[in-house]
Amino acid sequence: MSTDSLIQIKNLSVEFQTDEASVKAVKNISFDIPKGKTVGLVGESGSGKSVSSLAIMGLIPNPPGEVTSGEILFEGKDLLKFSESKMRKIRGKRISMIFQEPMTSLNPVFTVGDQICESLILHEKMSKQEAWEKAIDLLDQVGIPNPSERIKSYPHEMSGGQRQRVMIAMAISCNPDLLIADEPTTALDVTIQKQILELIADLQKKYGMSVLFITHDLGVIADISDEVVVMYRGDIVEKNSTEEVFKKPSHPYTKGLLACRPNLDEHPRRLPTVSDFMTPEGKEIHHDESVLRAAKETRVIGEAQIPLLEITNLKKHFPLKKGFFGGVQSWVKAVDDVTLTVRKGRTLGLVGESGCGKTTLGRTILRLIEPTEGQIKYNGIDVTALNKNDMRAMRRKMQIIFQDPYASLNPRMTIGAALMEPMVIHKLGSSKSERLDMSAKLMDRVGLHPSMLNRYPHEFSGGQRQRICIARALAVEPEFIICDESVSALDVSIQAQILNLLLDLQEELNLTYVFISHDLAVVKFISDEVAVMYNGKVVEMNDAVGIYERPQHEYTKKLLSAIPKGMPKSLIL
Amino acid sequence: MTTSDDRGRSLWADAIRKIKHNRVALVSFWVIIGYLVLAALCASGLAFTGYGITNNDISYQAPSWAHWFGTDLFGRDVLARAAQGTVTSLIVGFFGAGLSVVIGTLLGALAGYFGGLIDELITWFYSTLDNIPYILLLVAFSFVSGPGLKTLCLAIGLTSWVGHCRLVRSEFIKQRGQEYVQGAFAMGASHARRIFIHILPNTLHLVLISFSLGFVSAIKSEVILSYLGLGVEPGTPSWGMMISDAKLELSRGVWWGLAAATLFMFFLVLAFTLFNDGIRDATDPKLRDK
Repeated sequence: MSTDSLIQIKNLSVEFQTDEASVKAVKNISFDIPKGKTVGLVGESGSGKSVSSLAIMGLIPNPPGEVTSGEILFEGKDLLKFSESKMRKIRGKRISMIFQEPMTSLNPVFTVGDQICESLILHEKMSKQEAWEKAIDLLDQVGIPNPSERIKSYPHEMSGGQRQRVMIAMAISCNPDLLIADEPTTALDVTIQKQILELIADLQKKYGMSVLFITHDLGVIADISDEVVVMYRGDIVEKNSTEEVFKKPSHPYTKGLLACRPNLDEHPRRLPTVSDFMTPEGKEIHHDESVLRAAKETRVIGEAQIPLLEITNLKKHFPLKKGFFGGVQSWVKAVDDVTLTVRKGRTLGLVGESGCGKTTLGRTILRLIEPTEGQIKYNGIDVTALNKNDMRAMRRKMQIIFQDPYASLNPRMTIGAALMEPMVIHKLGSSKSERLDMSAKLMDRVGLHPSMLNRYPHEFSGGQRQRICIARALAVEPEFIICDESVSALDVSIQAQILNLLLDLQEELNLTYVFISHDLAVVKFISDEVAVMYNGKVVEMNDAVGIYERPQHEYTKKLLSAIPKGMPKSLIL
Repeated sequence: MTTSDDRGRSLWADAIRKIKHNRVALVSFWVIIGYLVLAALCASGLAFTGYGITNNDISYQAPSWAHWFGTDLFGRDVLARAAQGTVTSLIVGFFGAGLSVVIGTLLGALAGYFGGLIDELITWFYSTLDNIPYILLLVAFSFVSGPGLKTLCLAIGLTSWVGHCRLVRSEFIKQRGQEYVQGAFAMGASHARRIFIHILPNTLHLVLISFSLGFVSAIKSEVILSYLGLGVEPGTPSWGMMISDAKLELSRGVWWGLAAATLFMFFLVLAFTLFNDGIRDATDPKLRDK
C-alpha cells in the first residue's frame, strides 16, 4: 500500500483560534493519495476538506490556524517539517492547485501567457522564449482554440470556462505529481463543467499524475475518481473505492448524501435528507419508512388549473453602446419575446445557463426591472400598467427569494425586524405584539425556533438564512413566489431540506412558484412544468417529465447530456 | 435550546466588544474623553479661568512652577490659553465636521441611490467645487462673512463635504444592487425606507470613520485659518492664534507658546487617528471573524 502512494496523511489535526475558542477544523484524519489515481474528497462546507488540502500545500494561515498533530508524507518525507523556502520549490512544481473561482484566481493586469510563463521560468528555469512556446503548447492541450493568438489575451477577454482551462494549464505547466482541484467546477455551467471534468481526467491519464478532487457534490466525482473520502465535521466518515461507496455506502452520512441529490430518472414527492439517516452527532437513524416511501412515490402532476400568470411577448433590452450624440447603437436582448403561462398552485421551472436571461425575466415579472415591451397579466390584471401605489399593493401577492442567503438579509436588522417589516409596509397585524406573534409562527413554519427572532443574520448558517428568507417572503401571505436560484448556494444536503420545505409550503398554502435554476435535476424535482431558456428566448416548454424524456430542442438535449449521472459509469447499466 | 429572551449580537455590539479588546483604541478613547472633560471644565468656568488676565510685568516669562508653559506678550498664562483653546478646537471639529458629514452623506446617498440625472448633477456640483483649491474656498468664505467661531464652522462644513459625499455615493451604489435591498423593493418598501432603514445603517460605520477623519482635518483647518488671520476673533483662545503669534516670538527665543499649542493639538489628533483605526478594524466586515 505505502509503496505506491504519493501522499500519506497520518493523524492530521488542524485547529483554528477564534476570539472565543479554538475550533478543530480537522480531527485526526488519515488517508493516502495513490500515484496516478484520482481521490475525491467530499463533504459539506465547514467539513474540513479545504483545510486538509491547504495543509498539504503548507498554506494554513498561521495565526489563526495551526497544524496541531500528524504528518503529511510526500514520497516518504514529512511536508510539515519543510522550511518555507523548501515548500516554495514544491508548490507549483510538484504539487499544484486549481481553485473554485476562475474569475478572481487570475491576475487581471497580466496576459494569460505571462501568467503561465511565470512558473515555468521560476521552476523550470526556462528562457522567456522557451516558456512562451511551452505556454502555447499548454493552452493547446487544455483545449483553448487558436492558442498562439489567445495567449496574448487578458483574463477579462475570456469566458469563465476558458479561464478555468487557463488555470489548469498553469497548474500542469511543471508536470506536477499531484494536482489539487478545489471545487473547480462549482462556479461553472453544467455544459462547461462536463468539459472541464473530461479535461482533468484526460490530463490525469496523459501525465500520470495524482489528483485530489475536492467537492461538496458526490455526483460530480462519480465518473472521474478512483477512490472517495467522505468528510463530516472534521472527521473522515468513509473511505473506499468509488464503486463501493456508490454501491453500498457504509456510513449513514454517505447514504444521506447519495439519497438527497435529486435524480433525473425519478420524479419523487419528497427528497430524503441526511437527517433522515443520521442524527447531527453522527448516529445512524433506522429511518422512518414513510419518508423513504414518500421519496420513492412518484409525484402526480395534477389537473391543469386556471392560469395565474400570463406573460405575452415580454422583452427586456439593455442599452449597450451609446453613440456620440447619446443615441443607443446596440442592445443586449436579455429577455427577447418570451411568452409563458404559470398555472395556479403549480411550479414552473426555468432553466438555462448563466447569461441566458432567466434572472432578468424573474425580476421583470416583479417589475424590479421595468420591461421594455410586452404584457404581464397576473390574475387578469396587467401588472405593467399599474401605477406606483397599485404596484406596491400588488407586491403583497408576488414575492421573491434570492440566491445568496448571505446578501439577501440586511446585516444590521434582527430577524424579527426583518420579518415584521413587510407586515408594517402592508399594514398587516394591528400591533407590534400581534406582528411578533405572526413572526414567531412564521419561524415555526420554516422550521426555526421562534426564540431566534432577536438574533442577527450573521449568527445563522446558510441553510437557516435561506429559511429566514422564505419566512420573510411568506410574511405578507403571498400567492406567488419567484425562487431565483434559491438553493444553488447551499450544500446538497441542505438543498434537499429547503426543497422539501418549499414543497410542503406549496401544498399547505396553495402557492404558485416560478423556480429559476441552472441545475436541471433540481428543476425536474420541484417543477410541474419546465421552460428552457437560451439567449433570452424560451426554446422549449413541456411538463417536467416530458422535457427530460423527450427533449425536442438541440440545446435541451445538450444540457441534459451534460449533467453528471451521479453514478460511476460501471454501475450504470 | 435557547430561552425566549435569547438576545442577538448586533454588528455594533460586536464592534464595541472588539474595540474593548484593542488597547490602543481604548487608550485613545479615554484621551479623547479627557479632552472633552477638559473642554467642558474650561467652558463652564471651572478650570483655567485665568486665561484672560493680563499682566505686562510678566510678559514673555519662560516656563516656571507658577506658569508651566510660561507667559505670552501680555503676561497671560500660556497653559491656561492652550487648555481653553481645546474648547475652540472641539467646537470647530464637532460642528465643522458634523455639518460636512451631514451634507456629504445626504448628497452622496441621493446620488448613489438614484443614479441617473440626480447623480450627474450632484457629481458635477462636487467636481466643480473640488476643482477650486480648498484653502482658497475657506479663505474666500471667511472673508465674505468675517471672522468668528460660527463662520469658521460654516466655512469648514460647507467646503469639506466632497470626500464624504464620494465615499457615501460609492457605498450606496454598491449596496443598492445587493439582494437585501432588492428584497425590500420586492416587498413594497418605499425609496425613503430603502435609503434610510436599509442602506444607510449599512454605511454608517464608514460615515463614522469619515466623520472622525473630518474632525481632525477641521481642527487643522482652524489652525491654518487662524494663522492666516481668518479664524476666530482676536482674544478668543485658540491653538491657531497661538501658533500664529509664534511666528514673531520664535525669533526672540520664545518657544513655549508654540510648544503648548502644538502638544495639545498633537495628542488630540493622535488620539483621534488611532481611535479611528480601531473603529475601522472593528467595523470592517472583511476583518470580522466568524
